[in-house]
Amino acid sequence: MIFTVNTEVFEGPLDLMLHLIKSNKLDLFDLDMNVLTTQYFNYITTLKHQNVEIASEFLSELASLLEYKSKKLLPKETVEITSEYEVDEREKLVQRLLEYQNYKEASMQLEQAFSARQLLLSKPLSEESQNYINESSELITGTPYDLMKAMQKVIKRQSILRPDTTTLNVKEVSLEERAKTVELTLQQQNTITFDRLCEDCINLGMVVVTFLVILDFMKNQKIFVEVIDDKILIKRKNYA
Amino acid sequence: MRKIVEGLLFLSGDEGLTLEQISETISYSKEDTFVMLQEMIEEYHSSDSAIQIVLFGGIYRFVSKSFLHPYAQKLFTSIKPVQLSNASLETLAIIAYRQPITRSEIEEIRGVGCDHIIRKLEARHLIRNIGRSEDIGRAFLYEVTEEFLNAFQLTSLNELPELTLNVSQHKLFEE
Repeated sequence: MIFTVNTEVFEGPLDLMLHLIKSNKLDLFDLDMNVLTTQYFNYITTLKHQNVEIASEFLSELASLLEYKSKKLLPKETVEITSEYEVDEREKLVQRLLEYQNYKEASMQLEQAFSARQLLLSKPLSEESQNYINESSELITGTPYDLMKAMQKVIKRQSILRPDTTTLNVKEVSLEERAKTVELTLQQQNTITFDRLCEDCINLGMVVVTFLVILDFMKNQKIFVEVIDDKILIKRKNYA
Repeated sequence: MRKIVEGLLFLSGDEGLTLEQISETISYSKEDTFVMLQEMIEEYHSSDSAIQIVLFGGIYRFVSKSFLHPYAQKLFTSIKPVQLSNASLETLAIIAYRQPITRSEIEEIRGVGCDHIIRKLEARHLIRNIGRSEDIGRAFLYEVTEEFLNAFQLTSLNELPELTLNVSQHKLFEE
């Protein structure tokens, strides 16, 4: 029993067209659109009979090929204009095919370089030197829950410290403003706990803003954060 | 001095070192360091040593020569050559030659959607997004990374194989 397996996998409609042009020995610079359209159509219909799912891109190219062909079949009344249009459409397709072929060829050359590079192996950086280079590997010790617990503690203390009856100062501190103050504090002392950082907070909103600033700084790698016994320890990164 | 550079490169492993890092460490001028490294590369290349120095993407590293690969593969089962699909290679080629380029421009050349491939290449650090295009839609622009140069044995993009047909020139004629 003979199994015919089509191993050819096309990367897209242009790839398929190039293949058809090559196998039919068509001249890319003087492309016979009739042959190409017929071949392309046949290929897609065979695929369909084999119950292969056809990507929409293939169908869309087929549609434009058929459109081109049907336009040519129409009686030509305004000869000059139509012929110009046809040349244009064909030229466009050839241009696209040429450009695509270019990159396809280049990608094959790149593939060779890539496989050759795969054969050259290198040794991972020794752990010893890694430690010198990456201090930041100890950037965060602790889980997000430790952060949450520490935050809860600050909020709790905040609510105890502030008596229930105080006149509320409705002064919103913006993230940017707070970031400036925090940065200034960090410049004065390299290491500070989150509790101390929040000492000047007059309300809960400000604590939250301070926390957001810390998260922001962590994201921007300005600081190290460490959690020790429910305390958030903030360290300034020296070379940031 | 050569011995020192050799030792430094050995210690830096697969991370490798840039010319600047080496020349600053040994307090040599960049030019002298470059010449010295060039000599070292050639020396290792022509010797029967199992290792060599390579310069890809601006980084000097020690790598083993390819004849060692089958043996290394036998010893360390974790070593498996990575394969890139044709689609990935085509997309990479287009980006490398035409960068910075948007996704829709790549798709126009390839005639198929590339969304998935671009995300995969980005995850493998072969390409990166470098902001948005000024044109309508402000699409993301992509370019290849140093990791790409390393993976394709290139020092810079100038070393890319020349395209058979100069597309940009061809377009000039058309217009």
